[in-house]
Amino acid sequence: MSSHFIKESDFAAFLAGLIKEKKVVGPVAKTSRQQEKFVFAQLERGEDLRLDYDVTILPPKKEFFPTQQDLVRFDGPRREGCVTPEEKVLFGVHFYDVKALDMTDLLFQERNDDRNYTARREAATVVISNIQKVSPRAFWSSIGAEIQPQGHDAWLSRIAGGYVLEPRTPKGAALLRFGKFATATPAQIAAARQANDAVAAQCPERLQGTSESNARKVRAAFGQEELWTKLAEDCFSCGSCNTVCPTCYCFDVQDWWNVDQKSGARTRYWDSCLTEDFAKISLGAGATENFRESRGERFRHRFMRKAAYLNEKLGGPACVGCGRCSAACTADIADPTAVINNIPEA
Amino acid sequence: MPAPTPCRCATPSPDQDQKENIFLPREANIIRVEKTTEMERILTLRLADGSQMKFEPGQILEVGLMGYGEIPIGLASSPTRTNTFDIVVRSVGRVSQAINTLGKGDTLLIRGPWGHGFPLENLRGHDLLIIAGGIGLCPTRSLIQYALDRRQEFKRFSLFYGARDPQQQLFTADLADWRKSKDVDYHETVDKSDPTWKGNVGVITTLFSKTKIDPGTRVVICGPPIMFKFVIREIDKLGIPHQNVFVDLERRMKCGVGKCGHCQMNDKYVCTDGPVFAFSEIERLEEAI
Repeated sequence: MSSHFIKESDFAAFLAGLIKEKKVVGPVAKTSRQQEKFVFAQLERGEDLRLDYDVTILPPKKEFFPTQQDLVRFDGPRREGCVTPEEKVLFGVHFYDVKALDMTDLLFQERNDDRNYTARREAATVVISNIQKVSPRAFWSSIGAEIQPQGHDAWLSRIAGGYVLEPRTPKGAALLRFGKFATATPAQIAAARQANDAVAAQCPERLQGTSESNARKVRAAFGQEELWTKLAEDCFSCGSCNTVCPTCYCFDVQDWWNVDQKSGARTRYWDSCLTEDFAKISLGAGATENFRESRGERFRHRFMRKAAYLNEKLGGPACVGCGRCSAACTADIADPTAVINNIPEA
Repeated sequence: MPAPTPCRCATPSPDQDQKENIFLPREANIIRVEKTTEMERILTLRLADGSQMKFEPGQILEVGLMGYGEIPIGLASSPTRTNTFDIVVRSVGRVSQAINTLGKGDTLLIRGPWGHGFPLENLRGHDLLIIAGGIGLCPTRSLIQYALDRRQEFKRFSLFYGARDPQQQLFTADLADWRKSKDVDYHETVDKSDPTWKGNVGVITTLFSKTKIDPGTRVVICGPPIMFKFVIREIDKLGIPHQNVFVDLERRMKCGVGKCGHCQMNDKYVCTDGPVFAFSEIERLEEAI
């Protein structure tokens, strides 16, 4: 598909037109402890969109896999499923988060298609925007670099004087009618490419090795109990690393009742494999069995999941280098570059 | 920048989506209840729409009640029997306790059957040894019944069953039949005896000396995690290759459809890749046994 250019001065009108007609979710600023952070939220005004964000607190997967999501609602003996696809435009996603969506797309779809996720996903239009500011813990240029983002409908790049929009699908091309777009010149296309390529050198952190060598050495280190116990020594088992991760998709399912004690729902909630009771079962009479009892075992499980277990299925690691876990971890022990770089080669 | 990629298919209609919702359960009626121990009840169920549920021995169901939740339970009867199916519910938590307050005529909600059961193709035409410890008798009963109903498909059929004490024995009517049956070479033991018990006392591995097991035998094992290690030692002494040994594993399963992550064991999901695995497939997987 061809590339299109919109002038900076016409961009606000484009956004306003889009927001008027469609639900648009994009990165907006949120001040937390006197610091400017960013979140994906529904845009009410185009001015709120902050394409100069570095990274959002939570990844955009929440738009398709909400932190809590009803699966089945009931009222007495009546039950109904809750698959609720909603058309929306997810605008301004960084490419690493789209790579993560590609993973959750596959994982929710394979074997037993979970329409609670995939129907929402299919109803969305995803627009990538180039990274204008790099977050302090990012390492996306050195992990799974061989894998390109797939599940997007258009790619927006900021260049001098405006933006280049490259539709990838008919859904992406359908956005053109909202703004004054002209066919992009070869120079503008080259500038867009340059804007995307140049930023890769700015990642502050770096994962060494290849996807294969890292998978091999992380797997080979499985039996080193002392290593994992030491790495997890300061772990609070809080699950923050899971919560902010764009590729984590574990969930718990709980039923609840409304106050009428007649109706209620079966709801799924994000869950975290770092928490103590994640793999714990009841044996009755107060006895339990925990299949990953120690912090070291749980910490190791996360790294196996990110660097090794899913690689065959996904074609690479289940980590996109966003650096959210590194920043979210209170004890600062979750950084994949710090952990994996320090595991010796197998 | 990446090459363009095709978009996914058009969104199906919401009606179709609700039908395809993998979390929407169907109804099954309780047609028989038998209290088998202090903590366990056998429930015989029939699908409310009258249809026959298709399943393989060893597969699991998610069983529950709205407002309480769901629990994973192995099917405890063979698909060769009538259009009913059995499950055993041990009262241990909120859901199982709620289910065990129900009686004949009440309705349960089920999803499934899910997962891979016992590999019948691989078992047929060979000697079969089933080793069940404790509540491990429930899922293996689906295969025991199958082997008894299709006895000609198997050569020698041996069954070892171990319980903590005589009061913990499950399916006591079946046990009485198996003791007398010429179709199964049945051996049982209890870890701790009581004055009523006349049989073998000791761990389940003590039963290996009671009968002859050929190295070509196909072996199925289900029991508490600690049991596997000791049973495998005996299997190795007999020279049975590990690809002919099948283990039925338990984990914390939540969704039953290979999504929620709780039952993950190394790179496998026990609910969908298992719960039955060839031992050769998992023996080198850390966290498996």
